[in-house]
Amino acid sequence: MKSKRDFQFDAIVIGGGIAGLQSALDLGDQGYTVAVVDKDATIGGKMIRLSKVFPTLDCASCITTPKMSSAAHHDNITLFTYCTLDNLKRESPDRVVAQLTQKPRYVDPDKCIGCRKCEYDCPVYVPDDEQGGFNMRKAIYIPFSNAIPQIALLDAENCALCGKCAKVCPTDAVDYFMKPEAITLTASTAVLATGFELSPLDQKPQYGLGRLQNVVSSMQMERLLAPHGPYNRVLRPSDGREPDSIAYVQCAGSRDKSLGIPYCSRVCCMYAIKQAMLLSGALPLADITIYYMDIRAFGKGYEQFYQNAKAMGIEFVKAKVAQISQADDQKVMLRYEDQEGSGGVMERDHDLVILSLGMVPQWNPEGICSVGCGQDGFIKPAIPKIAPTVTDLEGVFTAGVASGPKDIVDTITEAGAAAMEAANYLKALNGSTA
Amino acid sequence: MSDEIKKQETAEPRVGVYICHCGGNISDHVDVKKVAEAVKDIPGVEVSHTDMFMCSDPGQELIQKDIKEGSINRVVVASCAPSLHELTFRGAISRADMNPYLYEHANIREQDSWVHHGDPATSKAVTLVAAAIAKARGLKPLEAIRVDAANHATIIGGGIAGLRAAVDLAASGIEVALIEKTPFLGGNASKLDRVFPTSEKAGDLIAYLADTVMKSPLITIYPCSEITGFEGYIGNFTLTVSKKPPADAVPGDIREKYFHPFAGYYPGQTPTEASEESLTTGVIIFATGFELYEPSRGEFGYGDNEEVITLRQLIRDMADSPQDSGTLRINNRTVRRVAMIHCVGSRQIPGIHEADEDDYLNEYCSRTCCTATLQAALEIRDRYPDTQVLDFYRDIRTYGHNQEDYYDRASEKNVLFFRYEPDESPVITRESGEYPLTVRVRDKLTFNEEIEVGVDLVVLATGMQAAPITSLVEMMKLPVGSDKFLQEVHPKLRPVEMANGGIFLAGTSQAPMDINEVCNAAQAAAAKTVALLGKGYVELDPFVAAVETDKCKGSGKCIEECPEKAITMNGNLAEVNPALCTGCGMCVAVCPENAIDVQGWSLQEYEDMVDAIVKF
Repeated sequence: MKSKRDFQFDAIVIGGGIAGLQSALDLGDQGYTVAVVDKDATIGGKMIRLSKVFPTLDCASCITTPKMSSAAHHDNITLFTYCTLDNLKRESPDRVVAQLTQKPRYVDPDKCIGCRKCEYDCPVYVPDDEQGGFNMRKAIYIPFSNAIPQIALLDAENCALCGKCAKVCPTDAVDYFMKPEAITLTASTAVLATGFELSPLDQKPQYGLGRLQNVVSSMQMERLLAPHGPYNRVLRPSDGREPDSIAYVQCAGSRDKSLGIPYCSRVCCMYAIKQAMLLSGALPLADITIYYMDIRAFGKGYEQFYQNAKAMGIEFVKAKVAQISQADDQKVMLRYEDQEGSGGVMERDHDLVILSLGMVPQWNPEGICSVGCGQDGFIKPAIPKIAPTVTDLEGVFTAGVASGPKDIVDTITEAGAAAMEAANYLKALNGSTA
Repeated sequence: MSDEIKKQETAEPRVGVYICHCGGNISDHVDVKKVAEAVKDIPGVEVSHTDMFMCSDPGQELIQKDIKEGSINRVVVASCAPSLHELTFRGAISRADMNPYLYEHANIREQDSWVHHGDPATSKAVTLVAAAIAKARGLKPLEAIRVDAANHATIIGGGIAGLRAAVDLAASGIEVALIEKTPFLGGNASKLDRVFPTSEKAGDLIAYLADTVMKSPLITIYPCSEITGFEGYIGNFTLTVSKKPPADAVPGDIREKYFHPFAGYYPGQTPTEASEESLTTGVIIFATGFELYEPSRGEFGYGDNEEVITLRQLIRDMADSPQDSGTLRINNRTVRRVAMIHCVGSRQIPGIHEADEDDYLNEYCSRTCCTATLQAALEIRDRYPDTQVLDFYRDIRTYGHNQEDYYDRASEKNVLFFRYEPDESPVITRESGEYPLTVRVRDKLTFNEEIEVGVDLVVLATGMQAAPITSLVEMMKLPVGSDKFLQEVHPKLRPVEMANGGIFLAGTSQAPMDINEVCNAAQAAAAKTVALLGKGYVELDPFVAAVETDKCKGSGKCIEECPEKAITMNGNLAEVNPALCTGCGMCVAVCPENAIDVQGWSLQEYEDMVDAIVKF
């Protein structure tokens, strides 16, 4: 595949989540030109998919969308969405090259006006991953209502090729023959803000995720609580009833050597407490129990948030859950070691169980980029204490969860630090770029 | 198109009203459709829309579309507090080529839906929006005030945060004044031996940064100095720096310019007499750090028993000890068994812990003590295998990179863990027996049994608390949180900025952090500084006093009242320096001729708002 399009920037930011956007904004505001590359069809990363965020309980959108919008409209920032990173190479001290593949949207981004007529007319329904799989989207669609850019994409795997979208499109933007396109970005510095995926639990079948209907992931619960959520209320998946008894299983895919994830994911305690608080607002009569190993409320205002949750009547049980199984009446049974009180093995039924999943790296640089990673798979900071965003690859920096689990506050701060390092790298190269 | 919009700005007001659901934050309590309906017929209102998230791109585009189509020339958004998104919407309006000051923000979240419910919430929203519409109708186009900015930043505090920020700013070509109140650089980190999780010497980290600072021609270090005077505004602050010889002379053996363990990096230049200097600076960075919690007398036996020490003291004693085998010795006494107690002066709970005279408690977690305690516990087990370690904790918070490993290894090395509840904290007593001290605690992990154990030493993991910088806080009118740390504008939107323009936060002046988190914060603050000062000018909001020259009779009353000394007499007329004016309105209240008014917040605009509030 020959590169059809070549672009030149001061900096390349890999990842358009909150870390990448903040780094891009801080570089752009210093006068540097920045390319932001995202594998998804929209920027915003994991944060835009959340409901509300701890400890302020602001809606995630209220913080993310303005930063997305600022980046999208910034004179110095160019977005490359729906692109895979095939190669990122430092060629010389002032030259880092990224090879991308622009995946075909089957919709011409220059023509699409985001009117969604195609989406309304499409007859194909597909489970919507953006909504935790709880409801359906079309085969041609805009990812979600505050996605940027507001450009449709066609899911070729599920498209029935009925031609309705092409017919209804007022700008003739649908193109079934669109091909992947190679893009080359050249810059002097790069920031890796590749973020995370939720811990996979396929090695932990005893937790029942994907098998027991009323066991859901914490991200699915974010969607159930979100303003644009699938049901606009919290319902139990098996029968659509409001749950009376809800349980959180902490450290599901963190601090668990059996899964090869020995580390703490830093956010799960707080997001579980946050969700529990939101649930007690949405379902005032429901009993909520959090099964935990240690409550790690270490950030600014977090401990107070935890104490408030206790005062609201949320129950905290120090226990390691061993097994989750189906109980009568579509309930879910937790079998756990009660580490306090009388001790021993206990069993308890709940209507709905949420697994507080941890974080694993979203990106494996192997074969793509020579940046060094730690045993945990996250990018390894080369000077972890006093320059945490410096990697072992010259002039390439890391921001946010790419180098290890972090909450949003720490991620945003680190993104600013990465921008500072990248800016000073540029400054040192040519004195007065800005 | 753009000229057309400019022409529209002075035409008859046509207001666009945009009401935000805030994803349920507002619409769960306020019937936003009803509000939109209620205000749509107010004279001057052209359109009245609602949206799930007005601040999102599609929301902003809704406003821009109405502007570009020429249907509106004033904008009212009813959403969250203006501190969050007033700038977002002004920016959107600017991008549609309209004057961004033809905009009024109604706060129907913090001031309404978060505190009221049901019909009263909806009716209050109608009132607030109607008032905003009334004000918007009278708004006039304004221009931002552009003032030159000094290419200079002042960093208060020469610890890790201050050093880190200084290095980055100098690399960006910004001149730096680094103000440090002691004769040494390095701050609290100087009191550490090795740092987790890398086991590097804290002194090496400090020396690396301090060496760079010392070599930089752009950085001036002011040891033994404090800020005693402050005036000016973002981009143009004037500070008085007062130097004073230290109370205790710096001993001769640590007067070499490098790092001295447990003292700090000696930069030289210790003053021998007091002096004062004036600095003009564009940005001020608070890297003022923290102070360690000092346990009160009798708290876990502290002060009453010399066998009760703080973790900081233990680290110091172990670093000084040449011995690496057998049993730990502290103060020439053999420590067969040591108790380490977490959360001393952290995670305090009202009603359980004893509040100070201001009814204040450290309710927060200090973030670093768990790992630091386990690091010390492991060092004891590694170096002195005959000393037994007991660990009394509430939750083990080894959250950071490779920190969980300390917890694992401590368990492997037979550190014994006991979990206590804050209302049944360990009690330390002196008893005659095999051990000088006895620890009594109800252990949650063994069926709530009361456990009694003799120990030779008790180590308290004391937390961080806000540094005593009250005089700076008062002088610069800085926001402080209920935890006494400096308060950022918003932890996610603007985590290293304070509400005071041009004043930034770096490190533990804001909240407890470990060293790498401190460095991230310091570098983020440096990035904000470079973005702000890089252009050579800053833009200030034009909400400042303006004199109507045909009305002013030169009474001079405004000059007497102005707290910012922003008004002077030019001939017979009062004249405002817009860069100094904060728009407080004191002058407006005293002018006998009503000849002075605050732009964008005029008396007429207030009257219009009050009229609307009475009506709706």
